[in-house]
Amino acid sequence: MKKILALLLALVMIFGLVGCGGGDSEEGGNEVGEVAVFWYTFGDTYLSSVRAAMNAAFEAEGIVYQDYDANNSQTTQTEQIQTAITKGASVLVVNIVDASSDDATQAILDAANTAGIPVVFFNRSVSEEIVSACETAAYVGTDYTQAGHMQGKMIGEYLVANYEALDLNADGTISYVMFKGQEGNMEADARTQFGVEDADAVLAENGKPALAFYDAANTSKYLLDQNGAWSAAQGQEHMQTLLSKYSEDNGNMVELVIANNDDMALGAISALQAAGYNKEGAKYIPVFGVDATDAAKEKIADKSMTGTIKQDAEGMAQAVVDIAANFQAGVDKFEGIDEANMVGTWRVNIPYSAYTGE
Amino acid sequence: MSELKEKGNALKAMNAKDRKRAIGDIMMNNAMFIIIAIAIVLIALKEPAFVSVPSIINIINLTAAKLPIALGVGGCIILAGTDVSAGRQVGLAACIAASLQLTTNKLFPEMGVQAWYVALAAVIVVGAILGFVNGFCMAKFKLHPYIVTLSTQLIIYGIILLYLQLGTNSGQTLSGMNPAYRELITGELFRIGNTVVPMYVLYSVIITIIVWVIWNKTAFGKNMYAVGSNEEAANVSGVNVVRTIIMVFMMAGALYGITGFMDAARIASVNATTGLNYEADAIAACVIGGISFVGGIGKVSGAIIGVLLLQVIFTGLTYLSVDQNLLFIVKGLIILVACAIDMRKYLVRK
Repeated sequence: MKKILALLLALVMIFGLVGCGGGDSEEGGNEVGEVAVFWYTFGDTYLSSVRAAMNAAFEAEGIVYQDYDANNSQTTQTEQIQTAITKGASVLVVNIVDASSDDATQAILDAANTAGIPVVFFNRSVSEEIVSACETAAYVGTDYTQAGHMQGKMIGEYLVANYEALDLNADGTISYVMFKGQEGNMEADARTQFGVEDADAVLAENGKPALAFYDAANTSKYLLDQNGAWSAAQGQEHMQTLLSKYSEDNGNMVELVIANNDDMALGAISALQAAGYNKEGAKYIPVFGVDATDAAKEKIADKSMTGTIKQDAEGMAQAVVDIAANFQAGVDKFEGIDEANMVGTWRVNIPYSAYTGE
Repeated sequence: MSELKEKGNALKAMNAKDRKRAIGDIMMNNAMFIIIAIAIVLIALKEPAFVSVPSIINIINLTAAKLPIALGVGGCIILAGTDVSAGRQVGLAACIAASLQLTTNKLFPEMGVQAWYVALAAVIVVGAILGFVNGFCMAKFKLHPYIVTLSTQLIIYGIILLYLQLGTNSGQTLSGMNPAYRELITGELFRIGNTVVPMYVLYSVIITIIVWVIWNKTAFGKNMYAVGSNEEAANVSGVNVVRTIIMVFMMAGALYGITGFMDAARIASVNATTGLNYEADAIAACVIGGISFVGGIGKVSGAIIGVLLLQVIFTGLTYLSVDQNLLFIVKGLIILVACAIDMRKYLVRK
């Protein structure tokens, strides 16, 4: 009796799940398979906005699609791709998990080529040799160093304009803290490096001394999110701990906060506000992030955050959808893409832009 | 005081060999205090600012913030179980609390800002429901708690992702919360010099006292220890095992809810990564504090000591500017060493 009950329950669940998934595939008919979109994780804030924009763009073009979440595991993603190929996908759109692994990229391309399916990589970097060697592959990304360069320039210009007011202990140099989102991620490495270097370059042009990391003994010159999650919680905790040692009373207050992304910047702001900074009528420590999330824009609007670098989620989503549509239609893959953004015959770069409020 | 004196006299009366063993026992029984003391002294010698008032308050604040989740997990461990869904439960609670306190609410545009007690009640109820599911599956289906909570961890993460997609939010970070709510949690309790001690420290103390009373002074608490040390025996002696297990997990869920409620205001920015890996630290803290995976063993003070020790070491390593990559190794070693010492304590007793 119990066994029969268990079997029935299992069957009900399976039918239930099939019922849930059925909606997308029906309208497409049998001629063109769906576009399979593989996300490295659904938990990423910026990519969630790309996903919303991309789903809307696919729907606007009348293209049937299916989203997959790899939950930050390359193994899961590779298996999902194999499944999607056997299911009959027409185009694979891949936000690769392991951006530093050429083998993972090659394995995905090999599987797709064998089945004769084109691949559009996006957002997370893949290497040029592998993608450009394949006619039916393309990459939509950003110049991963650009966000760091733009953030550095923005910081440098802001500091030059407000130098005396920001140098709280009047020692002539600005001390800063840098929050790094993850180890072994090229974007995080570049932002951590150029966010400071380019700011220093602007300062040097204007005859100011270079930035000084708040803790001279720290040779890595950044504080890291231990979970590699670029999270606000770690930004808050690091900042709170830091403020317990470095303060205006001690004459060694941190005078500038740079974060690899907006979430970490928001965490730092929370700690600063708890210590009585960055509120109305209080002293101000400039805080810079990257991403221009809605939450960060609100903080910039209420003047508790200084600036961020905008990654164009809609632009990236639209470019991916256009290329996927071109592949489906069998025309040149880059037809209709802004030529200024094209790099060679393999990639499209979506430009960043600085954001300091509207 | 007189007790100490007695012990001192007893120690003097012993012969050399016994004395050595007695001192060894005392050191073993208080190993965690000794480790904390040594760590503080060593760090303070290199970095005197570590024992300054702002630094001590910082450690207390961070300890207070992490204590409720550790107490929740602690109860589950006393049952000879564990709870790996704790972090995600905190994340979901933080999302719910934040969504009810947003000044411009993109998830529920028509709802607006709710009173803080509505949000608190919501997270406690949701936490208790999730705890009920965990406890029910464990007690009724006789599933190992690791399996149950591993499953619910995944389910809850899915719910978080869906929750953040509600309305026009499309997975974005929740931020811009009602100032009254943030003030309630992070407002000033009192200040020492220029350093503010926030309100949530008080809440954490109250919660700890309540948990202490429940664990030590109620029939439910005694049942929890009984079920943890020997389920069969507890059952035979008339303890309702199923109900006890479910209640422990419901209490844990409520504590995670409160942690999420405080975290949303403390960090002021909530997204799908909120709560990630919290359970790892909480479980480590409990185990370091002597709440044993064997079951039926552990005290509230153990959880406090565990959380405090981890916090002291980590804040201390940051003060010492230790290479960020080494922190992982240090963390692993601390857990190993602490547990090894703790296990020896029980082996000696047996």
